[in-house]
Amino acid sequence: MDMTGEQKISAPRQTVWLALNDAEVLKACIPGCTALEKTSDTEMKAAATLSVGPVKASFTGNVTLSEIDAPTSYVISGQGSGGVAGFAKGSAKVVLADDGPEATLLTYTVKADVGGKIAQLGGRLIDQTAKKLAGEFFKSFSDAVGPHAPDADAETVEKKKGFFKRLLGKA
Amino acid sequence: MNENIDPRALDRPNSYIGKSVPRPNLPKLVEGRGQFVDDVVLPRMVHVAFVRSPHAHAKINAINGAEALKIPGVLRIVTGRELAAICDPWVAVLVHLAGMKSAPQYPLPLERATWHGEAVAAVVAESRALAEDGIAKVDVDYDPLPAVADMETALAPTTPLIHAELGDNLCFQRTNESGDVTAAFKAAHKIVEATFHTGRHTGVTLEPRSILADYNKGSGKLVVHHSTQAPHMMQGVFAKHLRMPEGDVRVICVDVGGSYGIKVHVYPDEVATVAIAKLMGRPVKFIADRLESFGSDIHARDHRINGKMAVDAEGRITAIDIDDLTGIGPYSVYPRTSAVEGNQVINLVGGPYDFANYRAKTTVVLQNKTPTCQYRAVGHPIATTVTEGLVDLAAEALGMDPIAFRLKNLMRDDSYPRTSPAGMKFEGLSHIKSLGRLMDMIDYPLLRSEQDAMRAQGIYRGIGFAAFIELTNPSPFMYGIGGARISAQDGCTVRIDPDGSVVAATGVTEQGQGTEGIIRQIVAEAVGVPIHTVRVVTGDTQTTPYGGGTWACRGAGIGGEAALQAGIATRAAALRVASAMLQASAGTLDIVNGNIVDRATGAVRMPLAELTRIVYFRGDTLPPDLPRELMQTRHFITKEFPFAFTNGIQASWLEVDVETGLVKLLKHWVVEDCGRIINPQLVDEQVRGGVVQGIGGALYEHCAYSPEGQLLVGSMADYLVPMAAEMPDIEVGHIETPTRESLLGAKGAGEAGTAGAPAAIMNAINDALRPLKAQVLAQPFSPERILQALGKVPT
Repeated sequence: MDMTGEQKISAPRQTVWLALNDAEVLKACIPGCTALEKTSDTEMKAAATLSVGPVKASFTGNVTLSEIDAPTSYVISGQGSGGVAGFAKGSAKVVLADDGPEATLLTYTVKADVGGKIAQLGGRLIDQTAKKLAGEFFKSFSDAVGPHAPDADAETVEKKKGFFKRLLGKA
Repeated sequence: MNENIDPRALDRPNSYIGKSVPRPNLPKLVEGRGQFVDDVVLPRMVHVAFVRSPHAHAKINAINGAEALKIPGVLRIVTGRELAAICDPWVAVLVHLAGMKSAPQYPLPLERATWHGEAVAAVVAESRALAEDGIAKVDVDYDPLPAVADMETALAPTTPLIHAELGDNLCFQRTNESGDVTAAFKAAHKIVEATFHTGRHTGVTLEPRSILADYNKGSGKLVVHHSTQAPHMMQGVFAKHLRMPEGDVRVICVDVGGSYGIKVHVYPDEVATVAIAKLMGRPVKFIADRLESFGSDIHARDHRINGKMAVDAEGRITAIDIDDLTGIGPYSVYPRTSAVEGNQVINLVGGPYDFANYRAKTTVVLQNKTPTCQYRAVGHPIATTVTEGLVDLAAEALGMDPIAFRLKNLMRDDSYPRTSPAGMKFEGLSHIKSLGRLMDMIDYPLLRSEQDAMRAQGIYRGIGFAAFIELTNPSPFMYGIGGARISAQDGCTVRIDPDGSVVAATGVTEQGQGTEGIIRQIVAEAVGVPIHTVRVVTGDTQTTPYGGGTWACRGAGIGGEAALQAGIATRAAALRVASAMLQASAGTLDIVNGNIVDRATGAVRMPLAELTRIVYFRGDTLPPDLPRELMQTRHFITKEFPFAFTNGIQASWLEVDVETGLVKLLKHWVVEDCGRIINPQLVDEQVRGGVVQGIGGALYEHCAYSPEGQLLVGSMADYLVPMAAEMPDIEVGHIETPTRESLLGAKGAGEAGTAGAPAAIMNAINDALRPLKAQVLAQPFSPERILQALGKVPT
């Protein structure tokens, strides 16, 4: 399956680029990632737990960075075996562009394939699962890289409090 | 050639042939007290489960089972190399299919996995659950290889070879030609042309494939409890490939929960189970689960067919030209081969019609998908879809009504025996009578006026027809002459026991369709005893006469005739004893309702149980040289015709929702001529079940694959089968044209419904869509495809 998307990140391009190359940041942001270890400048070993529909499996595999054009773009690709659950492989072309001095627009084009039981049982769910995982990743990544802004969420909490207080007649 | 038995002329107490007698195994089955393979539990039994390839095509570098063996209860990891040392591979070709080729197939592959779902290693454990835990810990190191997924490019020079030693990905190719097709098309008044696709689907048996192999190292004997249609064939296969004398192998199948052709093939995981039993000297059980069944049960009907039909100005068919392509997976399936389906297509296209010029080519290619092979009504639904699709197109091109066009072109009922342009020999068919019977059933003018009235309201209803022929009762011309040890004959032993009850042991088998029921009816009538005193034994190579089993609708036509003849011989044997005891000539006596009677008056002379008492316990009182074998065996094989043929016609009345693309089936009619009807209720249910399976292929069932060769169906949520709520009322009518090859005259009724239903549905959908200038020719006719045809969603 193929998927494209973009994410606005409230950090300068250089900061985003460094984070994209930081195994610790990636590990924290990849959903289900339990290990990510650099073995060279462009290679990492990874382990992640992934569920597609009824199949949940631990995948182990390699992640490779290629077509590196710092600090603008690279291709991150990986393949992993989930044992009896099958296999997953995919790659993402990630491109960064300045969005003003303090923000970056990240666009991605993902190609992903799964095989084995995970394809047989979860085939119809792959697209939505991949979209969900990509969404989770970039949300976490954006949170990790961008400044902590207690904006919208905090406001909601405030409003909720108000609502709750009103309910209790304490407004 | 025989005069047929006429059940109506023999309306005496034991006339069971032609009547809807309840079958003996029904209470047992509905009460859940059947004995399926999984119900058999043996001492020291272990379970096997298989590690299956996640890749459509991959090199197997290494299989490491060390971690799996650490799990308590996991006993052994078995690889292809280990099994190859004790089990010989097979190559599924038939020599009469000239030029056919396939590669040697092992119980487990040695070097490469060639389809998603292929078993690559076995885990033996104390339970299925533990074996599955073991599977999760087996580490298989694969190198993925490019997969051949699209049959259209399987023969392209740039496509990788699945088996390099074969030189290409071609399994078989044949052109069946007669007359002058080119000249006929040149002279045609109109030519219609279309490309049809029949979707890859499978059988979905209620009981999955099941096997329990028990090898006794002390006696050297192998007993295999097997859910199969052909126990004697499997006995031979296990013996040959495990290098054992055939007599040391016994195959038992008590109850089988549906088969539909799925269970008449040799499956590598089943042979592996037997080989592991021999390797370990312990009983080993394998029960396929639904997930692995989708990837390892045979698939079928993955065809693309280009078809052309020429007609003259009077509306007569003058020529048919077909180009069929089918993808069968990486290996031809043993021992029937996967070329037979394509071969059937080119033998059956145009079957009901009277025309002279015929050309049909089939190309059977290898690909990295689950192997395909014979499934209920092998090739028939494909041939009927193409033929009847072209017939409707031709009628439309001529501005003729589809019924009028068929009536003009169907073979006349008085024109037999004859040979079709495809070379099929017909003994006697009833297309015209069947069409007449259908017209009596459906009220065609009323349906057409209802259709018009509904269209005015924006409701699109259609009626579709499909005439068909169905090949049954195959002679050795089907498989035997090709070198396969698949028996076209079958036998039955009938004996009378001391209590006067009768036992019939038959080589044909029961899978839930009522084989034992009809054998019991036939034998009870032939011997002359009440039906409840007859027991039928099937499914045991040690106790039943050698036979081919149940497939190709041969249970009634072949097994039934053997039973009839054995029963008649047993009655004659009993009457010979009776004539000595009663001092009467045998010709003046008969057996009726379990008594020896005077033939002329019907007066009871002696109960049969008294005769058996004398024979078994006081043989000293009989003349010393009197033969007293109350047990007779007869075998039967057809002799005059390579195949029997049945015929019939179906009609479908349905409504297409042009907003959603959903098809609602309103009514379905079948007229079927299966020759002599032994049990009308069972025949009707066979026809209805067949229709439902045909509807499944036409509307719902599809083994979908990704372009990379990944199977995308794993459960009944992805693979839709017809459910009761969607099924229409199916009305069944009959014409009886018995075959003269046998006294019984039965031809078989199991596949007719499946043969014609998809074509009738297709023609009805296209009839509904005609005012919208849309048509669908690719099965399954899913809502998406119908909306695409209507231009409402992108293709």
